[in-house]
Amino acid sequence: MNALKSAFRNPPLLTLILVILVWIVASLTLRGFGAFGHLRYLLELSAVIGIVAAGQTLVILMGGIDLSVGAVITVTAILLPLISPDIDPTGLVGIVLALGIASSIGFLNGVGAAYLRVPPIIMTLAMATFLQGMLVIVAGGSAVSVTNATVIWLGQARPFGIPAGVLLWVAVSIVVLLIIHRMPAGARFLALGANPLATELSGVSVKRNTLLLFTLSGFFAGLAGILILGMNRQGYVGIGDPYLLTSIAAVVLGGTSILGGRGTYAGTIPGAILLVTTTALITVVNASPGWRSIMFGSLILALLLISGREARR
Amino acid sequence: MTKTKPLLEARQVFKGFFGNPVLKGVDIALEPGRVHALLGENGAGKSTLINLLSGALQPDKGDIVVDGKPVSRFSPAAAREAGIAVVQQELSLAAELSIAENIGLGALPRRFGLIDYKALSASVAEVCERVGLTEPLDMPVGDLSLGRRQMVEIAKALFRKPRVLILDEPTSSLSAHEAGILAGLIRKLRDEGIALLYISHRLNEVQALCSHVTVLKDGVVTADQPLAGVDDEGLVRLMVGRDAGDLFPAWQDHPAGAELIHLKKFSAGTALDVDFQASAGEIIGIGGLVGQGQEDFLLGLYGAIPASAEKAEISGSHRPLKRVEAANQAGLAYVPADRKHEGLVLPHSIASNLLLPSLGNLVKHGLRDRAAERNLVADLAKRLTIKGDVTRPVQALSGGNQQKVALAKWLPLDPSVLLLNDPTRGVDIETKREIYLMLQSFAREGKLVILLSSDTPELVHLCDRVAVFREGRVVATLPRADISEEAIVGAAMGVSAKGAAA
Repeated sequence: MNALKSAFRNPPLLTLILVILVWIVASLTLRGFGAFGHLRYLLELSAVIGIVAAGQTLVILMGGIDLSVGAVITVTAILLPLISPDIDPTGLVGIVLALGIASSIGFLNGVGAAYLRVPPIIMTLAMATFLQGMLVIVAGGSAVSVTNATVIWLGQARPFGIPAGVLLWVAVSIVVLLIIHRMPAGARFLALGANPLATELSGVSVKRNTLLLFTLSGFFAGLAGILILGMNRQGYVGIGDPYLLTSIAAVVLGGTSILGGRGTYAGTIPGAILLVTTTALITVVNASPGWRSIMFGSLILALLLISGREARR
Repeated sequence: MTKTKPLLEARQVFKGFFGNPVLKGVDIALEPGRVHALLGENGAGKSTLINLLSGALQPDKGDIVVDGKPVSRFSPAAAREAGIAVVQQELSLAAELSIAENIGLGALPRRFGLIDYKALSASVAEVCERVGLTEPLDMPVGDLSLGRRQMVEIAKALFRKPRVLILDEPTSSLSAHEAGILAGLIRKLRDEGIALLYISHRLNEVQALCSHVTVLKDGVVTADQPLAGVDDEGLVRLMVGRDAGDLFPAWQDHPAGAELIHLKKFSAGTALDVDFQASAGEIIGIGGLVGQGQEDFLLGLYGAIPASAEKAEISGSHRPLKRVEAANQAGLAYVPADRKHEGLVLPHSIASNLLLPSLGNLVKHGLRDRAAERNLVADLAKRLTIKGDVTRPVQALSGGNQQKVALAKWLPLDPSVLLLNDPTRGVDIETKREIYLMLQSFAREGKLVILLSSDTPELVHLCDRVAVFREGRVVATLPRADISEEAIVGAAMGVSAKGAAA
């Protein structure tokens, strides 16, 4: 009983338990769901959301939100093939350039939020709109194919049977968990999210940390964009759109307060898996795309009611 | 004296939270036409008792009795019905709403379904006049100072025409002038036959206003008696259960060292053209009525708001500090008055709050050094006698202990200049004393303590010099020999007092 109670007060654990339950039930009832290949595929899809949500988690912990992650993913996926120089056989130059661009977009978001005092929700939404317009001009609506070797490896290779994308996610998770729980910066982000005024008066710069966080969010969105590009082998306008809502939902599903100041990436990880699983289950049900969207929206809401609930005092 | 029937009583009430008993069989009876004082240290159970009397909480055992009849489920609505109004210590006003809207909230006059602002203004005008609110009634409450907001809070309570009025530390943010108006008002309400319950840490106010006192200590009543014939020392003895000796520690000489701050025509926010000098080992008081630029002066020194100066030497810097971090590096630390909003991250743990300023110094191989952090927190908790589990949220602590955390978090940085903004506001007597002793030991260690206080006796008993602010300027700098309550208040009010020359 007490164990159950503490589980209910521990959203990351609760979300993880939920994922396991759903996987068990679905494996027993749906043919093929429990196959190794299928579960591996679900994790591969989760990795993309998980990586986008890494930056989103950090920003939300500090009390902000990043609505430009979808657009940043698209920008990266479309620009990377265009800027990867042919003389570089590894493709690393293109990746570094693309991540630089993604981080710069995040940095600009941070400048707007910290120095121009534009609320993050407005700043990042405006940035997303701006980027989308720019992409239409640059890419002109056609898909761009990727030839970058590293990107393709990242999206397709399976060392030791594990998708490279999942390995990348594991690495990202370790770094982000270290930042949040083992580095001074993480404690500062959380304090800023809970009470920016008291934190600023304690000698923590709101501006510098805002800048840092949005830059990180841009970076992780760019990383996710590269992974998606490798998995799809093509970049096109709108490729990043589905990841905006899902990244935020994964964060909240993991028990992080949307108001900031409380939460952990340890919850976002099962949150991302839960979202992908749910989507997969809906796809199995034979329904029109319209109904699928309605079901997906309702399910997110229902899941939030169960797990990611703001803990009441 | 005829025997009057109490309007509101608590009879043998018990109340606990999570198994901790807070009230253990408390009786109190509020009679019409009497100002009843409720005294007790923080954590004695005063707030809980008030919450029971106002219906915000239900007793575990015992009765709330209205007009001699026990009420079975005493809810806030029932309390309002019974004519009980509370002026909370935690301000409960909506900052975006106007003065009139806040006062009339809950009973807003309507016309065609919309708020009838004319009728509203008319109905609240009288009560505003009574409490001396001269601001335009359509002014948002958020634009008012803390003291003025408190007056709105009082007006809001009076607007309901209560039979019982409970005032929880109403003067903690009021200027002397406002407190005077309030005192007059309380006497008038008393004469009108209203039953008043007055909670305050300021004994001189209690002595001046109240005729009966109930003292709580650790959840039980240790005294319920007329106030006549009980002096301050007696009251303190009843509250702390021992001879308090003096609230203030004995004066200690602490020789001044090197000059740390030298300002000429320093301006920040509402503080204007301040000339100021202070040296290591001094305790400098900042006095004056509430809101005369004192707070902006401290914030400007601390780099939290923009400041300018003809000449400014602050702890080695030759210009006003621009950022809080720079101030911290220069050895300045600031303890805000509003500890709940500015001093602490309330939902976070005691340990997190204590560590916040020094996180960067406790790092090994780029990661937080947990062992060093634990040691530091344990050490701080011990030095400041903060008892219990440090992983509890800091909001679980009493006001006094919260203040200790807000102060203690700076100690690891070993600041050379401490800027303290009303550090004993809303703090119980025991903790006050601990803070006073701490200030003295800071000075002995050669730190400069700048103490802004709304409690004039503090300035009198603790400070080497007192700078009195009025309308943003320092109107008097009183040396130790000339510091007295009369001199400080006189200078603050613009009454010429002896030795006042800046």
